[in-house]
Amino acid sequence: MADLNDGRVDLRRSPARFVAFSVIAALLLVVLGGRLFQLQVVNGEEYARRAAADRTVEVPIPAPRGLVFDRAGRPVAVNTPSWTVNVRPADLPANDRTRVLARIGRLTETSISVLRGRLDAFRGSPFDLVPIVRGVPREAALILGEEAAVLPGVVVEVEPIRAYLDETGAVDGHLLAHIVGYTGPVSRDELPRLQPEGYLRDDVIGRTGIEASFEDELRGTYGAHLVERDASGRQLKVIETLREPEPGTNLALTIDADVQRLAAQALTWGMEVADVSQGVTIVMNPQTGEILAMVSLPAYDNNKFARGISADDFNIYLGDVDRPLRNHAIADIYPPGSTYKLVTGIAALEEGVTTSSRLWPTYGCYQIPGAPEGECLYDWNRQGFGPLAMVDAFAKSSDTFFYQMAVHTGIDPLAEWARQQGRSGVFTGELAQAGIGQNVIAVTPLQVLNAYAAVANGGRLMEPMIVRGETDSAGQVTRPYEPTLLHEIDADPGTLQTMRIGAREVITSGHAYNIRDLDLPGALSGKTGTAEFGELTEEGTLPFHSWFVAYLPSAAGATDAELAVLSFNYSAVVPGNVSAEVVKYFLQLYYDLDQDLRLDPNDFSLVTAN
Amino acid sequence: MGVATATLVESVRARDWRHFDVQLLLYVLLLIGLGVVMGYSAAFNDGGAASGMSQTVKTLIWAAIGLTLFFVASGVDYHWLRTLALPIYVLVLGLLALTMVLGTNLFGAQMSVTVAGLDFQFSEVSKVLMITVLAVFLAGRRDRIGRLSTILVAGAVMALPTFLVFRQPDLGTAMVFVAILVGMLFLSGASLGWMGLMAAMVIGAAPVAVSMLHDYQRQRLFCFLDPYADAQGACYQLVQALNAVGSGGWLGRGLTVGGEGQRGYIPVQSTDFIFTVVAEDLGFVGGVVVLALFGLLVWRILLIGWGAQDAMGMMIAVGLATMIVFQLVVNIGMVTGIMPVTGIPLPFITYGGSSLISLLFGMGILQSIRMRSHKPTL
Repeated sequence: MADLNDGRVDLRRSPARFVAFSVIAALLLVVLGGRLFQLQVVNGEEYARRAAADRTVEVPIPAPRGLVFDRAGRPVAVNTPSWTVNVRPADLPANDRTRVLARIGRLTETSISVLRGRLDAFRGSPFDLVPIVRGVPREAALILGEEAAVLPGVVVEVEPIRAYLDETGAVDGHLLAHIVGYTGPVSRDELPRLQPEGYLRDDVIGRTGIEASFEDELRGTYGAHLVERDASGRQLKVIETLREPEPGTNLALTIDADVQRLAAQALTWGMEVADVSQGVTIVMNPQTGEILAMVSLPAYDNNKFARGISADDFNIYLGDVDRPLRNHAIADIYPPGSTYKLVTGIAALEEGVTTSSRLWPTYGCYQIPGAPEGECLYDWNRQGFGPLAMVDAFAKSSDTFFYQMAVHTGIDPLAEWARQQGRSGVFTGELAQAGIGQNVIAVTPLQVLNAYAAVANGGRLMEPMIVRGETDSAGQVTRPYEPTLLHEIDADPGTLQTMRIGAREVITSGHAYNIRDLDLPGALSGKTGTAEFGELTEEGTLPFHSWFVAYLPSAAGATDAELAVLSFNYSAVVPGNVSAEVVKYFLQLYYDLDQDLRLDPNDFSLVTAN
Repeated sequence: MGVATATLVESVRARDWRHFDVQLLLYVLLLIGLGVVMGYSAAFNDGGAASGMSQTVKTLIWAAIGLTLFFVASGVDYHWLRTLALPIYVLVLGLLALTMVLGTNLFGAQMSVTVAGLDFQFSEVSKVLMITVLAVFLAGRRDRIGRLSTILVAGAVMALPTFLVFRQPDLGTAMVFVAILVGMLFLSGASLGWMGLMAAMVIGAAPVAVSMLHDYQRQRLFCFLDPYADAQGACYQLVQALNAVGSGGWLGRGLTVGGEGQRGYIPVQSTDFIFTVVAEDLGFVGGVVVLALFGLLVWRILLIGWGAQDAMGMMIAVGLATMIVFQLVVNIGMVTGIMPVTGIPLPFITYGGSSLISLLFGMGILQSIRMRSHKPTL
C-alpha cells in the first residue's frame, strides 16, 4: 500500500480485530433475526390474539329497570327519559371552550364556572363522554341537539331515570315514597364492591324501600356489545352483540294506591286537628299479611332523589326533627301501651294464671307484691272497676287487672308469648308495667298490627307482604308471590276467642266511643292504646302516643276478617284518642259511608284517653 | 482562503469516481426507500393519506439534501477533516450546549433546535462529527496506540459531548457516543487489557448512572425484563410493540392496513418504533430483509475501512460501522423486547431529517475514503 500520507507512519491494521468485530456484528444480527422468528413465527398467533383483544372492548348495554305497579295495576314507579348534556373533551378545541360552555350554560341555566368545574374534575380518557348537566329540560336538549354542528364535542344523550307517580298517575312521590323508596347513583366508594356484580361507573342502585330490597329483580341483567376501539380509546363501531340485556322484573305491590290515599287523607286530618307531627296508618289483610296501605307522615318526594337531590333539599329533609325520610311504620319503635294487653292476656290464659271467667279485683292503685307498703301502680281509672274477668278487663283496659296478670305469669312466659305474636320482648324487669305495654316494651307499629292480625285470623302469624308478585308490562300479575306463614300461635283456640270477644267489647262497650255507630259490614273489633314516654310536663303528666288497632270480622269472635287497620300518632297530647278518630275516618272513606261520625276537633275530650 | 478553495477543487479529481462504491449507495438507497414507505404507512394510520403524503414529502426533501451532501463529501478529499478536527470538536460542543439552552421540548427532553421551521437535532450530526474527530486523534497516536493514555485521552475527548447529550436528557445518543468510542478503540489496536479494566470500571459505575436517570427513563429501561408486569403503565409502549411485531407473522399484514393494525397504539411510531411497522406490515420475511440490508451495508463499510489508504480513513469507517451496528441492535432489540427501551433511532429508516442528513453525510465521507483508496477492487 502506497503511503500518500506525507510519509507519516500509520497505525497497523489488525486483521484479528476486524474479524472479531465482523463476527460480533454478524452474531448480533443473527440474534435479532432469531428473536424476530420467535416473536413472529413461533408465537405470532398469541401476539396477534393479544393485539386483537386490545382493539376491542366490551361495552355494557343497560337493561331497562323493572316497573312497579300498585295492587290495581296502576304504575307507581316508571322509567322516564332524562336529557343529559355531555362533552367529549377531545372534540372540544381549547379556544372554543368558553363559547360552547357559555351556550350550554345559557340554555340549561347553569353557571359556566360550574360547567367548567365539572369538566375539569373529570379524570379519564379525553374520548369519554363527561356528563356536565343532567335533567336538562326537553326543549333545551332539542335546541342543543340542533346546534350540534356549531357546538363541537357536545353530545346530548337520553338516559332513563325513575319517575314516581301517585294514584292519579301524576309525578308525585309523597304518597308512596316510604314504600317504593328511590334509586341513586353508585358512589365512588361503593364501586369497587359493586363492580364485580356488574355495576358501572355511572350506574344507579336502589337506595331504600322496594327499590333497594328488590334491587336484584328490578335491575335485570345488563347485556354487552363488542365494540372496536382505537388506541386512544375512541369507540369506533359495534362489532357484535355478545349478550342481549334482560329487562328488570316488573313488580306489583300489595298496596292499593287508592286505599293509600284514603289512609293518608284520614291520617293527615287527624294529625292536623290534634296538632301531631308524626303519624302512621297501616291497612292490612289479616288473612294473608298483605299490606294494603302504609302511610308514614311527614312524607317526602322520592322524585327529588331520582333526579339527583340538591344538597339544600337533602339538608332540609335531614334537618327535620320529624324525620320525613324514615318510614315510622317499620323503622322506629315505640312503647305499645295498652295494645300490649293482648299479649299479656293470652299469656295469662295460656299459663293458667286465669280463666276466661275468673274474676279478679281491680284497684285504684295496685300494691306490688313484696314492695314496700304504699308503693303501688295506679290504674288509669283511679277508682278501679271492681271485680273483672278477662273480656271486660280488656274492654275497659284495666291497668291493675293486667298488672296482676303480668306479675302472676312471670317475665319469661310473657316474653315467649310476645315472641309468638311477632313482638320482641326487650324487657328486663318492671314486670307489671311490661304487662300494659309501658316502660320497657318497644315495638314498631307494623308489629302491633301484625299481632292483632294473627289473633284476628285464628292464630296464624303471617309475614307482612308488600309485593304481590311479578307482572307483565301492563301490571297484570303473572307470577304471584305466596303469603308466608311465619308460625301458628301455640295457644288454645278458646284463649284467642276470649281475646277476640274482648276486642269486640272494646268497640261495643269500651273505649272506642262512637266508632261502634259506624254502619260497617261486620263486627269491628280492636284496642286503643296510650303510651307514656319522655319526661314529665309542667302539669306533672307525661306526654303520650296514641294507638288504635282494629279489624273487621263478619261477626264477634269470627276469624274471617280481611281488613285490619292501625293508626299511631306520636305525642298526641290531646284528651281524646286521635288514632281511633283517624281509623274511624278511614273506615268512613274506605266503605264510602254517608255517615260522618268524626268528633268536633274541639270536643276530643268526649273520648276517654286510654 | 483562495488557496484552500483551490486545493479543495483540485482534490475533486475525475479519476477518483471510477472507484465510486455503487453497492454502498445501493444499500443506502434501498434502506432510505424502505424508510419512506414505512413512514408513509405509519403516518397514514396516524392521520390518513394526507398526513402520510406530507411526511413522505418531507423525508424526500431531506433525502435530497442528504444525497447532495453525500456527493459533495464523496468528491472532496476527506483529509480536510484532519485540518479541521479541532474546530469541528469545538463546534460540536458549542452546538450541543446551544441545544441545551434553546432546545424545544419533545417528550420531556431537549433534543433539537428549531431553525426556519426545521428541527435540527445536533446530537445526530455530532455523532458523525465525533467519529471524524476521534479518527483524527487515534490515527495520530501511531505507535503510542497501546498506551493507557490513548484510552484516557480518547475517553476524555468523548466524555464532554456525552455528558452534554446525557444532560439534555438524551440517554440514547449518550450511549451511542460510548459505543463509538469502544468500537473505534478496539479496532484502532488499543490495549485490550486497559479497555477491559475501563469496561469493568464503567460497569461498576452503572448503578450510579441509573440512579441519575429520570424516573420515566428508569421505568422504561427495565420494562424489557417483564413488560407485562406494567402493561398499562410504563411498559405500555413495549407491550404494544411486541403485539405489533408478533402479529406480523411470516409475511405481514400488508401496508397501511389502517384500523386493523396496531399502529395507533404505539406512541411515536414513525420515529424510534418504526421497526414495529416493518415487522407488522411485512412480517418476518420483511424484517429479515431489513437485517440483511444492514448486514450488507456494514460489511461494505468494514471493507472500505480495511482498504482505506490511511489510518484516519480506516478509523472513520469503523466508527460509522460501529454506530450503525449499535443503533440497529439497540433499536430492534428494544422493539422486540430484548433490550431496554431507549430513544435510539433506526439508521436511515427512522423518520427524521437530522438523522438522515447526518448519515448521508457520513456515507459521503466513506465514499470519499473508498474513492481515494488504492485498492481498486474490494
